Amino acid sequence: MVPAIVLIGFVVYYAIAYTIYTSTLDWNGLTPEATSVGLQNYIKLFNDPVFWESLRHMVIYGLAIPVNMFLGLLFAVLLHTHTVRFKVVYKVIIFIPVILAPAVMAPVFREMLSPDGEVNMLLDTLGLGRFAHAWLADPSTALPALMVIFVWNWTGINFLIYYAGLTVLDPSVFEAARVDGAGNARIFVSLIIPMTKGSSYTLLALSLIGLLKTFDVPYLVTGGGPAHTTEFLGTYLYSQSITNFKIGYGSALTIVMIVLSLVLTVWQLRRYRTAGVV
Amino acid sequence: MLEIRSRPARLLLQLLLTLMALPFLFPLWVMVRVAISGQGARTNFAAVLSQPLIGAFFRNSLILAAGSIAIAYACTMLASFALAKLRLPGREVYFYVILAGLTFPTVALTVPLFVSFEKVGLFNTYLAVFIPIAGLVLPFNVLIARGFIRELPNELFEAARVDGCGSAKTFWYLLLPLTGPLSAVIVVNTFLAALNEYLLPLLFLQQADKQPLTLLPSFFASEYGSDQTKIAASLIVIALPTILVYIGAQRFFERGFTGGSFK
Repeated sequence: MVPAIVLIGFVVYYAIAYTIYTSTLDWNGLTPEATSVGLQNYIKLFNDPVFWESLRHMVIYGLAIPVNMFLGLLFAVLLHTHTVRFKVVYKVIIFIPVILAPAVMAPVFREMLSPDGEVNMLLDTLGLGRFAHAWLADPSTALPALMVIFVWNWTGINFLIYYAGLTVLDPSVFEAARVDGAGNARIFVSLIIPMTKGSSYTLLALSLIGLLKTFDVPYLVTGGGPAHTTEFLGTYLYSQSITNFKIGYGSALTIVMIVLSLVLTVWQLRRYRTAGVV
Repeated sequence: MLEIRSRPARLLLQLLLTLMALPFLFPLWVMVRVAISGQGARTNFAAVLSQPLIGAFFRNSLILAAGSIAIAYACTMLASFALAKLRLPGREVYFYVILAGLTFPTVALTVPLFVSFEKVGLFNTYLAVFIPIAGLVLPFNVLIARGFIRELPNELFEAARVDGCGSAKTFWYLLLPLTGPLSAVIVVNTFLAALNEYLLPLLFLQQADKQPLTLLPSFFASEYGSDQTKIAASLIVIALPTILVYIGAQRFFERGFTGGSFK
């Protein structure tokens, strides 16, 4: 018990305490002089349009979560159909994005979404050349482009959890439904979706927490730009505290992020408790 | 689950699946396409592999992974054993204290860790990276491990006590041998987290010869300027080992992600 508590105590709780302290300072992190400014940083934060913008982006980004879950479920159901061949190949293909480091994939995404990149090339070949676009440089498409990357990245996990969830379902239920004349669509809507509710809740909770933590992909692919249009809480607090040396303000952003995370965790734990997992 | 029997329907389903899966391959195809263009595959890969530092990048990633795994494994197993099987005052409190870390974002750690590592002189050491990684993976690992250990029959542990085993002996001779599959899951989880971590090494390992693979793309970017083909080749060199390990240990990766569902 002790090592774990020491580790988590140092890494997480010490960090939180220290951040609460620095969030009341006006400090560049380099010189020893720091001025205490009380709650100034928090007041500034609530009046900062970029902060609200970044929250708005995260909400929009979150719209990709249901898409992700639906795709995951669809893959899981289709791959549970026993007439399908080469199941392993499909599983590997949709799971590879999950295991690759965002740092490795980011340059690829920048390349393929650039004006003369592969996405535009593909559009050209399909005769849709007029939709060609500087996807990441245009403020109106940069965030949607990141959302597509998000779906690419995480469908594998959604698939896997649904797949595991479907494995434990009792096949006789489906046979009974079929005897009663239910078709495939009916079985999907009336049986599979309600019966995988547990997996759906788990995934939703995991995705929301992941959403709040989002940092690597926007940081590496767009850097929060153009003009803050893909700014997230994570990238914003990073650029404030590390790039601009505004430790105090960055810390205040961090604390807001932690509070949001905690609200989510408590909500999640209550869910788990009612579901009897914990 | 679904029933598709007729031949055309089966073919259609297979086609649908393939069409759905293709977009997931697209970025990988782009990676390969760029890497073999320009001066050609051979020149690009030769340039990447002849970089004197490339071995160091691989070695560093392995060191970071090994360090994170060692710390995370020891802490996870000890804590989960205590949380699942020992009579400990305030057991649930400890559990929630650990679990709350589940949502903690890495970015939020940067400032406090930066300051404290500088104070104790851990800057530019591997420790500065694998300690936080181990701390960040701990909550999820404990969540899985506690669930697994709790399912082990209590009679075994009582029998051990009757036979005169203390907690330490029970842990060593009874628990560890019983948790083989669980260990694999924890190792895989931590391995992946350590291997893919970008921010912590970026901040805490400023010397090029200490950096792990995730920092290799930016290293090559500064080395080759805008030569995308060599950068893409370097990305393949980095991605390939992970993909191979995944294909080899697929089962454990999948268990790692589905958490407790392998009971």
